[in-house]
Amino acid sequence: MIEIRLHGRGGQGAVTASRIIATAAYEEGKYSQAIPMYGTERRGAPLTAFVRIDDVRVRERELVHNPEISIVLDPLIAKQQAVVDSLKPGGLVLLNTAYPPEEVNLGGDFKVATVDATTIALETLGRPITNTAILGAFAKVTGLLKVESIEKAIKKFFPGRLGDMNIAAVKRSYDEVKGPIQAVVKDAPPEKVDIHVGGYGVLKDVSSWRVYTPEIDVEKCVGCKTCWIFCPETAIQWDEEKNKPWIRYEACKGCGVCANECPVNAIEMVRVEV
Amino acid sequence: MSERITRAQIPMSELTITPGSACQGCGAALAARLAFKALGPNVIRHGIPCCPDSVTQTPRVGTVFEGGGAQLTGTSRALKAIGREDVLAVGFYGDGGTYDIGFQGLSAAAERNENIIVITKDNEAYMNTGNQRSGATPKYARTSTNPIGPRSRGKPRPKKNIPFIFAAHYVPYVGTASVGFPEDLIAKVTYMKTIKGFRMLIVQSPCPVGWRFDPAKTIEIARASVQSGIWPLYEIMDGKTFKLNYKPKELKPVTEYLSPQARFRHMTEDEIADIQETATANWENLLKADEMGRLTL
Amino acid sequence: MSYEVMVGNKAAATAVKLAKVQVASAFPITPQTTITQYLSEMYAAGEWDFDFVNVEGELTSQVVVQAASKVGARTFTCTSGPGLLYMHHPMQVTGSSRLPVVMAVVHRGYKGMQPDHSDLMSQQWTGWGHQYVEHAQEILDSLLMAYKVAEDARVRIPIAVGYDGYVLSYTAEPVEIPDQGDVDKWLPPYKPMPSVLPDEVDPSTFSRGWGGGDPQMPWKIHHEAVLKIEEVLKETMDSFEKTFGRRYGNGMIEPYKMEDAECAIIAMGTIAGTCKAAVDKMQAEGKKVGLIKLRSFIPFPVNDFQAWTKKLDGFAVVDRSICPGKGGPVFGKLRDSLYDLEKKPVTLQFHAGLGGKEVRVHDFEMIGDKILKAAKGGTVEQVTWV
Repeated sequence: MIEIRLHGRGGQGAVTASRIIATAAYEEGKYSQAIPMYGTERRGAPLTAFVRIDDVRVRERELVHNPEISIVLDPLIAKQQAVVDSLKPGGLVLLNTAYPPEEVNLGGDFKVATVDATTIALETLGRPITNTAILGAFAKVTGLLKVESIEKAIKKFFPGRLGDMNIAAVKRSYDEVKGPIQAVVKDAPPEKVDIHVGGYGVLKDVSSWRVYTPEIDVEKCVGCKTCWIFCPETAIQWDEEKNKPWIRYEACKGCGVCANECPVNAIEMVRVEV
Repeated sequence: MSERITRAQIPMSELTITPGSACQGCGAALAARLAFKALGPNVIRHGIPCCPDSVTQTPRVGTVFEGGGAQLTGTSRALKAIGREDVLAVGFYGDGGTYDIGFQGLSAAAERNENIIVITKDNEAYMNTGNQRSGATPKYARTSTNPIGPRSRGKPRPKKNIPFIFAAHYVPYVGTASVGFPEDLIAKVTYMKTIKGFRMLIVQSPCPVGWRFDPAKTIEIARASVQSGIWPLYEIMDGKTFKLNYKPKELKPVTEYLSPQARFRHMTEDEIADIQETATANWENLLKADEMGRLTL
Repeated sequence: MSYEVMVGNKAAATAVKLAKVQVASAFPITPQTTITQYLSEMYAAGEWDFDFVNVEGELTSQVVVQAASKVGARTFTCTSGPGLLYMHHPMQVTGSSRLPVVMAVVHRGYKGMQPDHSDLMSQQWTGWGHQYVEHAQEILDSLLMAYKVAEDARVRIPIAVGYDGYVLSYTAEPVEIPDQGDVDKWLPPYKPMPSVLPDEVDPSTFSRGWGGGDPQMPWKIHHEAVLKIEEVLKETMDSFEKTFGRRYGNGMIEPYKMEDAECAIIAMGTIAGTCKAAVDKMQAEGKKVGLIKLRSFIPFPVNDFQAWTKKLDGFAVVDRSICPGKGGPVFGKLRDSLYDLEKKPVTLQFHAGLGGKEVRVHDFEMIGDKILKAAKGGTVEQVTWV
């Protein structure tokens, strides 16, 4: 049995990706199971899904704890050591990132493959949804399933023209994936950011939710307090002495309301460096 | 009636503990944050299953989904029994807990004029469970249980007129508010604190995920809703006295509100005209009531 | 100390007054209805610092007392049959939240209006203590004791006290009414644990947090807290007798003329009273059968029944309810309690009084005869619908 873990963000289609893999496996006469991590998903928050593939019907119902393969759909989450947590020694991690495998900083005993699925998705689908774009790379580097099976499965989920576009993304990532090579960094770093978000309550740091980060030009700011009043997370704090805002970044989810509302365009939403 | 305040008069205090688990750009999270600036810390915050449950620096109690009105009642009666009527019993409920499954209990609490404050974060569907339709979902809106297909054009029926329904219980205060108009929202919560009895504020809270728009536009959409007459801001006291708080000289067309939201993207010109007609007609009625300063209920 | 010839529902209302309940709430339903009226009259007369909330449905009444208890008021609610089923959802929150609400259940079987125990029996999973009482005096006394047990720091579990509708709710009997002063001394004021007032609450509780930890623990803790009722109920029965001069067995069970018995009939509620009359008759005829009246169904007196087994050859279990497809709850639970013992007395299942069917003295004589026959090795069908 092969166990796979997928990492994505709420709204990016990680769960669909897990089901496409499971469908492709069944196309090849294998049995499969696609499991989402249940919780109240939040748009933009990191989430996890799992797949099991076996030659017999899968009986286990526990979650996947030691996957052979980890697939990361989001380039920011791809930087978190947590994506290779409990990966079986000798396993493989496939990252959506523009960096080549040699420049990946995740540490441990596993192979690393990378593909810039975001760019591929933007160019073939017009949107940065990477759940299908990464599956061609998956077929190539794992050799687990034929890319034709992936394409057949995609047609079941995305009929017609949409299916064709997604298959184009699959073909490209099959060709463009780099690696796998043995991870350059041998040891896992001691600290780790928790990227699983489930349930309710107060979080410690939501920086990983941001694809864009607000940056304030305090010179332009006229002190109207608009950004401060409209931030749902009180990430924008107000310095009453200076009469200017400052940002508590660990509370900022990058929604962009502040930038959109600022009457003098003093806030810019800057793409987070990937 | 609430008294207008300026941006500068908005209290600096923050009682929500953040970051919470709300989605990016969540209107309901902002509604809770703003309300608490006026409510202050001497509150027992009441919750029921809802989205999101903003955490505050106050004690929190919760119960079953349909128990919103009942739990506020129990708290309020017990506070009286133990001599602590200084503490506010405030409920933060969603549209499910107000319009639908929670309606009976709230209606009865209103009828008994319980000494409670209900703040409804209205995001117009059961968002916590994935955007299923509610009695608060507007006509033509697409939800996961009102999808678009040959047999369905989204929700076939209009949104329940909850503010008027509760006003018809002859309670001391019913108000509508919007996260796009924070001064008005805070002024209304401030006013509610000065009186006793059943007080309710329904805050339209745009939801980027369910209404399908770029989270950066949450406030823009909240504002457009008010400015097009889709969600007018008003107050009704004792089911009689009526005041329209925001009266633009001319309403903006409803398309300004509908267009940025993919939940309305399927609408035909006729359907949009239907919404426009309803908004315009409703606005005329409210203007008349405002002129007279009262409603006939 | 005074007395009054009063109906069971009045006895319940009188207990509410003696316990100085602060907030009560109920919705009228036959045969509980008159309790809501008594309480309303007590409220209107201003007999003590009491608030009665007239609500629009039973579910609301449960949530009202749940919230009021949480904030710090001693509470009471009451209902019957379908009303109890309707409040099932919030009942489990009251249980899980460890709130010492006391509720009177005026039995109404849910297939009709007349009494049987299906209403309270179907609420086993809500995490409350369940008691069943026989007569009006016991209603008053048990409700008072319920407050003391529920509010005990070792317990903090809501308790439901059930009594048969019509037969008890509307039959008048002489009831001794304890002195208010004695009750005040015996039942201290209620303090919520923990406090939810803004100036008293522990700030570390603000965030509901992630869950995390073992999700099985809340169930284990709850289960153990309900089991604790046995110890505290027995203590409370001792102190009740000391203060007020009455007791009902050890609180969990009340043996009746069991000294020389070879077999026991197990019954709950009013039919146990009818059984006592039958036992008197049978023992006068030399038949060695007595009654073990079951008072606490949850927690179940496992230890007591195991102890009695040493002296007995047979148990005739009379269930006034049945779980369709499963069987009688007391019968099943009793047999489960005896399973590991070496000595296994004969056990027979009787269904009596379901749907309010009248159970008569001669019915218990038949039951007595059957268990005695079975205990001596005679062939008797295991299940009898009386």
